[in-house]
Amino acid sequence: MARIGVFVCHCGLNIASTVDVQRVAETLRHYPGVAFATDYKYMCSDPGQNLIQQAIEEHDLDGIVVAACSPTMHEATFRKAAATAGLNPYQVESANIREQVSWPHQKTPEKATRKAIEIVRSLVEKVRYDEPLTPLTLPIVKRALVVGGGIAGLTAALDIADSGYPVVLVERSAQLGGRMAQLFHLYLNFDGSQSLLEERIEAVTHHPLIQVLTNAEVTEFGGYVGNFTVEVGELGNWEVGAVVLATGFDLYPKANLPEYGGGRYPDVVDSLQFEAMLKEGEIRRPSDGRVPREIVWVQCAGSRAPNLHRPYCSKICCMYVAKQTIAYRRAVPEGQAYVFYIDIRSQGRGYDEFVQRAMEEFGVVYLRGKASRIIQRGRQLQVWGVDTLSGQSVRVEADMVVLAMAAVPSSGSEALARLMRVATDENGFLAEAHPKLRPVESLTAGIYLAGAAQFPKDIPETVAQGSGAAAKVLQLFAQREMVSEPTVAIVDEELCAGCGRCVPACPYDARSLHPRKKLALVNAALCQSCGACIVACPNKATIVRNLTPDQVLAMVEAVL
Amino acid sequence: MTDPSPTPRALIIGAGIAGMQAALDIGNAGYDVTLVERRPSIGGRMAQLSETFPTLDCAQCILTPRTVEVGHHEHIHLRTYSEVEAITGDVGHYRVRIRRHAAYVDWDRCTGCGLCQEKCPGKVDSDFERHVGKRKAIYTLSPQAVPNKPVIDREHCIFFQRGKCKACVKFCPVGAIAFDQEDTIVEEQVSAIILAPGYDLYGLENMPEYGGGRVPDVIDGLAFERLLSASGPTAGKIQRPSDGQIPREIVFIQCAGSRDPEKHMPYCSKVCCMYIAKQAILYRHRVHDGQAYIFYIDIRAAGKRYDEFTQRAMEDENVVYLRGKVSRIFRQDSQVMVWGADTLSGQQVQIAADLVVVAPALIPHPTTRRLADMLELPVDEHGWLLPLDSNTHPVETVRPGIFLAGAGTGPMDIPETVAHASGAAAQVLKLFSRQHKSPSVIGEAGGERQ
Repeated sequence: MARIGVFVCHCGLNIASTVDVQRVAETLRHYPGVAFATDYKYMCSDPGQNLIQQAIEEHDLDGIVVAACSPTMHEATFRKAAATAGLNPYQVESANIREQVSWPHQKTPEKATRKAIEIVRSLVEKVRYDEPLTPLTLPIVKRALVVGGGIAGLTAALDIADSGYPVVLVERSAQLGGRMAQLFHLYLNFDGSQSLLEERIEAVTHHPLIQVLTNAEVTEFGGYVGNFTVEVGELGNWEVGAVVLATGFDLYPKANLPEYGGGRYPDVVDSLQFEAMLKEGEIRRPSDGRVPREIVWVQCAGSRAPNLHRPYCSKICCMYVAKQTIAYRRAVPEGQAYVFYIDIRSQGRGYDEFVQRAMEEFGVVYLRGKASRIIQRGRQLQVWGVDTLSGQSVRVEADMVVLAMAAVPSSGSEALARLMRVATDENGFLAEAHPKLRPVESLTAGIYLAGAAQFPKDIPETVAQGSGAAAKVLQLFAQREMVSEPTVAIVDEELCAGCGRCVPACPYDARSLHPRKKLALVNAALCQSCGACIVACPNKATIVRNLTPDQVLAMVEAVL
Repeated sequence: MTDPSPTPRALIIGAGIAGMQAALDIGNAGYDVTLVERRPSIGGRMAQLSETFPTLDCAQCILTPRTVEVGHHEHIHLRTYSEVEAITGDVGHYRVRIRRHAAYVDWDRCTGCGLCQEKCPGKVDSDFERHVGKRKAIYTLSPQAVPNKPVIDREHCIFFQRGKCKACVKFCPVGAIAFDQEDTIVEEQVSAIILAPGYDLYGLENMPEYGGGRVPDVIDGLAFERLLSASGPTAGKIQRPSDGQIPREIVFIQCAGSRDPEKHMPYCSKVCCMYIAKQAILYRHRVHDGQAYIFYIDIRAAGKRYDEFTQRAMEDENVVYLRGKVSRIFRQDSQVMVWGADTLSGQQVQIAADLVVVAPALIPHPTTRRLADMLELPVDEHGWLLPLDSNTHPVETVRPGIFLAGAGTGPMDIPETVAHASGAAAQVLKLFSRQHKSPSVIGEAGGERQ
């Protein structure tokens, strides 16, 4: 006979003001197999946890159900408390009577109380058949792979390696430095920061723990957190425990914008071409080498255009355009700069002030409106648009036009994401695990994100994210071993016919067939306990531990 | 290999989302953290928010698991209701003096049952509720507070003021009320420090053009968050402060005190465009026949799904965006008159609003200056903490061992804050691994498995 304990939490008034918690405890006290039932104001508080521990010891309980909030809140708390009192933590179940009962049913307390009783009853049935389990442990390979040698990848690699762990840094091009190396001065700290990029490249190149692979790409990838295997072209194979993806961005191609000449006009350049001119110290028109006296910048070229091009704002253009206009006016003091914009997005400490400087100190003319088209007339360009402030249509004659093209995911990054089973968003950028609170983690355990691969972002934000991704890697490597939940799928070797149907059914690549025996295998580190294999198996040879068909049926019966 | 130095420990000042994230990142790597918070419980500004943009996730729902995790973490030592008074020493060896304010409640005994708050007769305006709600003289910031232990506000406690009452003493089932409690001072040794002091809002009293804080139905963005919040004073019902009516016409004013070099702050406060769009959407979700207007200069929706979100406000929720600044706000009968200019049509606009929500400039939290002085760290002319280099060293400072996290360095939104805080944590972990080369780390890392 089972000896189950039931603990009903008031959660202050959160549960108790709707659910009759005493009645829940009282009803369960008489349920078969329940040896002890009580209620308490806050089960998660120290006295609440003491109460659970004392009851386990005094009543020799072999399973407990805590009826309280969502298991994501406090299941770990109660499991830990029970373990201290000698009960196996996998024989502790949470009945969610707050999010699933008291909160949504505040107006019907009687029904809420009955629902709470049913939920607790079903969990009593589950815990009755729960086996004591031990968490699985796996070794961690304490080496990181960083993909992308731009400022994000360099920062992440350096932070990891400086903490004592080896890093393999894979860069597709021949050089490190990424987009930042293509830039002339930066808009914050106008004259200073390029030398800091050089320093960082130096530090990475000479770091004893960083292996830099240039002209290199990841061609094969497998495994799971702590134990990935990676093939880098002809250069070799590595085992790594964690990955930082810092694949950066590309510019949307000019050819996609026929309204701006579709790439046919030589003097319509994109923003990176203009950076190259600034870096060379020679601002000259590509067509005839003349110094342009009038330059028009067109912001949002391909951005914020949901039907035609990219729906999103590319975030960085407003600031670098302001920087480019200032750099141009410094280089060509008699030149005139115009900027077509929709909104000026100069957000953060010192940003708006910088754009104000472009307008006031450098006389840059900002025109609020999207440029509608660019046409070439002889050796001149005409930019047509509407000034939405005056309501007039305007035509600006220019010697050169700079398009602030939409930032898009770098070519190949989506294929790499597929290879690594990392989710991408609707625009092809890498998807973060949570848009607010997990910005540098992917949804795949052990794979982290840094920089513009996740979404366009400027250098300060990219660098912070690079370090942030490194922090996640360092946390993982600080563990002695990987601990994973034992409540995963297992295969009954007696019943398995080795038909292999579970292999394609598994969405996590956790199933395979034994190379010799006719038997399905489960990679416990990859299994997410979803149950797809159970449905696929014609012989009922597979179950998820502590969620067996018998348990589920008993749970259903308890609520009917 | 012997290790002469003690296990390094980090001090984090400020337990908002930045400080909590940094604490978790360092704590999860196995190092001890002392997390100091001025208020009685952790969570910072985010704990005051209703839903978050652009997903409309409820702030409390995503924050509470974090606060609970921090509260129970074996390596994170919370010191709430405490302030750092002095720091001496240098990287690797800081000595920190922390004052813990008298709570007048013995937290070791208190079970957090909440009876004292229920019975306390002393009611006061709540700072946490931005003065659109009340709290008792003995209080926690919210029912989900971590730690869930109350403090007594001496100024408003009837016993402290008049010598009698003691309702809390009478009802406390465990005898935890301790009127004779005094401030306590502790000293700790730490190796690295992260400053995460966060931000404050520029006060309405500084802006006579928006009523100077004297018009009851002109409130700031955080006050409106409290009105929207399911756990706020109105349980999420939008009721205006003056008479509890549901506003049918609501005006939001962006850039109040921001982008105004002559009179107020020159900088853009970065987060307002998005939270105002969110508030307008949430308002329309609650008041279906209500009309929302937003005065703006530029719509700054730069981030993943941000521009799409403001489009949603305009197209799906019919929020009227008016490009221009508001020149004057005044009370007329039971309404608030808003006069402004629409720079797109060139017309003057007058709106008779039931409620006006102002998005004031973000300013450094008042504690920032004191911290900067104490540690001899540079701040900019507005008091924001300055990183070593804005581009390549955004979380480091001029002093090795001292790092920055979150909006204390300038306005930033939650995802940026979280990434920034993890970045600061990485610098601390890097420092600790050098200071404390435990044989296991180097041994395992060095092992070639290729």
